[in-house]
Amino acid sequence: MLRTQLRRRRLLAAALTVPLLMGAAACGGDDDSGDGQVELSIFWWGAENRAQLTEKALDLYHQKHPDVTFKKTWQANQGYFDKLATLTAGGNPPDIFQIDDNYIAEYATRNVTLDLTPYQQSGKVDTSKFPEGLWKYGVVDGKLAGLSFGENTQGLVYNKTLLAKHKLPEPTIGMSWDDLISWAANVSKVTKVPGTQDPSATYQAFWVWIRQQGKDLYNGKELGFTEQDVTAWFDLWKKAREQGATPTPDVIHEGNVTDISKQLVVTGKAATSWVWANQMPELKKNTEDELGVVSYPGDPSAQWARASMYFSVFRGSKHKEAAVDVVNFLANDPEAGKILGTDRGLPSNLDIRKEVAATTTDPAMKASIAVEDQLVPKFGPAPAVPLPGHSKVKTELVKAAEEVQYGRQTPAAAAAAYVAAAKAAIGQG
Amino acid sequence: MSPAPPRRPATHRQAPGLARRRENLPGYLFLSPWLLGLAVITAIPMLLSLYLSFTNYDVLTPLSEAEWVGWDNYRRMFTDDPSYWHSVRVTVTFALVAVPLKLAAALGVALLLNKVFRGVGLFRGLFYLPSLLGGSVALAIVWVSMFNRDGAFNSLLSIVGIEGAPWVNDPKWALETLMLLAIWQFGAPMIIFLAGLKQVPTELYEAASVDGAGAWRQFVHITLPMLSPVIFFNLVLETINGFQGFTSAFVISNGEGGPVDSTLMYTLNLYINGFVRLDMGYASAMAWVFLLAIGLITVVLFRTGRFWVHYSDSEGR
Repeated sequence: MLRTQLRRRRLLAAALTVPLLMGAAACGGDDDSGDGQVELSIFWWGAENRAQLTEKALDLYHQKHPDVTFKKTWQANQGYFDKLATLTAGGNPPDIFQIDDNYIAEYATRNVTLDLTPYQQSGKVDTSKFPEGLWKYGVVDGKLAGLSFGENTQGLVYNKTLLAKHKLPEPTIGMSWDDLISWAANVSKVTKVPGTQDPSATYQAFWVWIRQQGKDLYNGKELGFTEQDVTAWFDLWKKAREQGATPTPDVIHEGNVTDISKQLVVTGKAATSWVWANQMPELKKNTEDELGVVSYPGDPSAQWARASMYFSVFRGSKHKEAAVDVVNFLANDPEAGKILGTDRGLPSNLDIRKEVAATTTDPAMKASIAVEDQLVPKFGPAPAVPLPGHSKVKTELVKAAEEVQYGRQTPAAAAAAYVAAAKAAIGQG
Repeated sequence: MSPAPPRRPATHRQAPGLARRRENLPGYLFLSPWLLGLAVITAIPMLLSLYLSFTNYDVLTPLSEAEWVGWDNYRRMFTDDPSYWHSVRVTVTFALVAVPLKLAAALGVALLLNKVFRGVGLFRGLFYLPSLLGGSVALAIVWVSMFNRDGAFNSLLSIVGIEGAPWVNDPKWALETLMLLAIWQFGAPMIIFLAGLKQVPTELYEAASVDGAGAWRQFVHITLPMLSPVIFFNLVLETINGFQGFTSAFVISNGEGGPVDSTLMYTLNLYINGFVRLDMGYASAMAWVFLLAIGLITVVLFRTGRFWVHYSDSEGR
């Protein structure tokens, strides 16, 4: 009797300890011990294709530096920044992570990213082959917060097949906004496919337009535009909708997402979409039709060489030197550059870019390289990296523009609400 | 609904405290993994979020550097954030419409399926199916493709010559589309109603029909009162569920609550503030106000329940 009771007790104790131990074991791990072995964690967003290319390039690094291994994690864009923020909050962000200009200022101003300036000065990060504006687009408050991976610019992508079928002219670089709208109205009339997505909710289109008015999205730590500017922008597209140049508001709303596969030019619900030039190959995968790309309307000098994304190094990383070396390798090693191609945008290193452009066979990639080549000499100076709060400035524009599109608010009322919300988002009093 | 626990024999009650404690100890030990889980996974994070709600914690800055801001987050919520009140309105509208309709649908179908006919088991299974799939992301995606301008629903309407709206992409209808999705998943309360209906003694109906009561009078005077504890149980659960609706709103609006904030449910707004705008202190404050509000609503439901819920085994309270 006593025995069985004892045994039962022991069993109980064991039953209780096992989960505890397992929990403790799960907490341990991840510190790499001695012998010069370094494991770097690296995290990026993207599709399958990007994952294959990046893994290949990292394998190449491992071949050259056998003491460095990688813990690679990648996922789709949606949810990426939630995950990155949570990892950071847990004090366990990856050593190297991909980031874009929507969030780089958020991370840099909170000292999550390592300042690469000293490494740049000592030559461990080589930006000498980068266009100057491109690496500077990674500078936040005087610190180099990320290394630009891929140059990119706004691109108006249009359905070549559709236009050819109806013998319609293609849009051209430098055509005025009014010209584009009447061109689109004509396309709608002839093809029965709306001529253009209404970009009034598209922040990068508004950004180009506002720069053509001699202003900017941000001016120092403040908004660079006024209520009147936004009203004029909304009015421009209200007229376009009245002329029949755009789809109906519900279809515009469908196209107002960042998801590439839902852009109207590939779903066939409009003849043009307002995207980024480097997205051409990805767009092409979602449609049978031939696509073409030009700059946004108006003076193309309002566009700039934007870093489509960056790689940043975590400031608290245990292996900063190694991580910085990997980032530099991915950006500047000719072999790695050839592997990575134009997947993240045109290679930042101009030598590599030339080589990749000469050897690529993908027509969509060729088209995006061609339009950038045409535009590069016309580019204006890059604006500063967007302020913290930028992601809300973007979503509030979508909301305000849609209020107007659905006819629930006048352009002036929506503009007033937008400016107030955008100011609050960037903490401007 | 469930049978009352059997009374403990009186001798046990009078056992000295020490003995009882010793008797309880193994019980607590067996519970300890769960208690530990409760503490680590629920209680500690909850308390932490209460603390966070008084700070400006922004996720990226270490917690130790978060500043204490007193009641600022709560003040901002109530006085300086129109989107907060908008999301409250959306959520309350959603719950007020979707919960009663869902319960009505569940009860109606349960009454039909309570009859005995061939294949009734199959039908019960079929009607229950949607609530198994209910919370899933895939279902919300299907909903989007069914209820947009070129969706299946509009094709059906066009057969009878009606030109449908772009439902999910129309700010006037997007929330209603979400409600429909919620109502359609009435399977879980339906099963509980069915179980409740089975427990109503048939003698009552026999006696009533002898007295000449028709189907409607039997329903009002026998079924509803006998079922009221089950109705109450379903009402409380579904109300809490209704307020917490997140997945379908998140998926259908691409995580943004659009078009023009028409599907900005409270929990979605909370998520956007916390994880997209990295304003975790504020999001924590929102979560606490939400908890208190739901608690309050539940208390009110319990209070009103006294007037219409009949417990047959309540020994004449």
